[in-house]
Amino acid sequence: MERLTIPATERSPEVDFDFAGGRLSIRGESYPEDAAALFGPLFAALDRFLAASPGPAIRFDFELIYFNSSSAKALMNMFQMLEKAAEGGRAVTVNWIFAPEDETMREFGEDFSEDLSHVRFHLVATPPDGG
Amino acid sequence: MASGKPPDFNLFGAEEKVLAAAEGLERRVADGPEELRADVRALVEAYRRAVREQRRLVKVSDRLQGQLGTVNQELAKRTAEAEEALARLRDAQEQLVQTEKLASLGALVGGVAHEINTPVGIALSCASHLSDATAAIHRLFAADDIGVDDFQRYMDTAADTARLILANCERAAALIRSFKQVAVDRTTSERRRFDLAATIGATLDSLGPGLRQAGHTVTVACPAELMMESYPGALGQVLTNLVMNSVVHGYDQGVAGRLSIRVDQPDPVTVRLVYADDGKGIPDEYRARVFDPFFTTRRGSGGTGLGLHIAHTLVRGSLGGTLTVDSAPGRGTTFTLVMPVTAEERLSPG
Repeated sequence: MERLTIPATERSPEVDFDFAGGRLSIRGESYPEDAAALFGPLFAALDRFLAASPGPAIRFDFELIYFNSSSAKALMNMFQMLEKAAEGGRAVTVNWIFAPEDETMREFGEDFSEDLSHVRFHLVATPPDGG
Repeated sequence: MASGKPPDFNLFGAEEKVLAAAEGLERRVADGPEELRADVRALVEAYRRAVREQRRLVKVSDRLQGQLGTVNQELAKRTAEAEEALARLRDAQEQLVQTEKLASLGALVGGVAHEINTPVGIALSCASHLSDATAAIHRLFAADDIGVDDFQRYMDTAADTARLILANCERAAALIRSFKQVAVDRTTSERRRFDLAATIGATLDSLGPGLRQAGHTVTVACPAELMMESYPGALGQVLTNLVMNSVVHGYDQGVAGRLSIRVDQPDPVTVRLVYADDGKGIPDEYRARVFDPFFTTRRGSGGTGLGLHIAHTLVRGSLGGTLTVDSAPGRGTTFTLVMPVTAEERLSPG
């Protein structure tokens, strides 16, 4: 599958879905005016990618500084898709990356991981620009 | 508030009740067909997840509103700080304007002294000449050597010198009256009824020595008996600052300028005063900034950058009018002052 990259805007995150390498990431801030316009294409691509079975192992990095309610719902939907794929035998790792002092973002990571039992979910506190 | 809330309050109480009921249903169908049990289990699980998601979404939403509240508070604080800084800046500016006004009043006094010197000097030399002639005729009279011709000459001298003394003393008195009015207007900032042409005249008189020395001439075209109910001190200050701006910036040393003031009335309640010089003009890059406070191209040589700013402030404030500039390099500079004949009474005129 072709790599899907979307540059960040003021209100939407940078997206890099490298399907061939099994490395996907969403970084930045997410409070788009039209959540469907942003997430619709991502869900469609992710759906097709996860449907291919057996697929490569997946590493998905979420490094969000800020997101609104629609984005939160979209993230939960995305986690559900990943959980299903993991349940179906796909090796899925999610890295929830946040700034060490950002307690709220850590808590959201913890909350989101509640529903995941097959996905390997890591909370990663990373200083800014720390890689 | 927390104290008024029942201790067992649960935001998701209703959802939990539905969930308990669903779990009860799951147990009730435990003996049913496997397909039914699996469907009910899936439904219950989906509902459980939906409630968890709802809790998370409420949390996300609360966080966002909390952040918005914090940002709003910060914004209000910053706005208050900015307003305070602006108020302080305005105070400082006001003080500078007062200082500048006093400084120009000082210059005015210098001009007055110079202007009054001429008629007083003439009166003095006439009086001295009359005194000498009187002493001479007195000597002739005492020696009983006085002729009709001598007496006739003395009478002519006395008449001439007395006329000159009277005329020059009247001139000096008129100048003092007009300067007194200018000085009072400048310092008290009171609104009063005045003749526009006379105020323009008195202002130009106070600037006269400086203008004449540099060889500049001013022509005035103002309708007679145009009475205004406004702030003559502010108007005089504006004219002074415009003229000084021309003299300082408009002409190189030795170049005699032609300045003009034309007054007309576009309508009965409005006065338009067009002040123009034929000097060097204002470069394009400066024109938009000439009314900005502290904008000067002459800071090194004593410019404060306040002259035109004060003029603009007085026109906008006291006179209740507008002051616009039109200029191009080499084509002179024109300021157009449009103001109401009757200015609004101000509690604290600028």
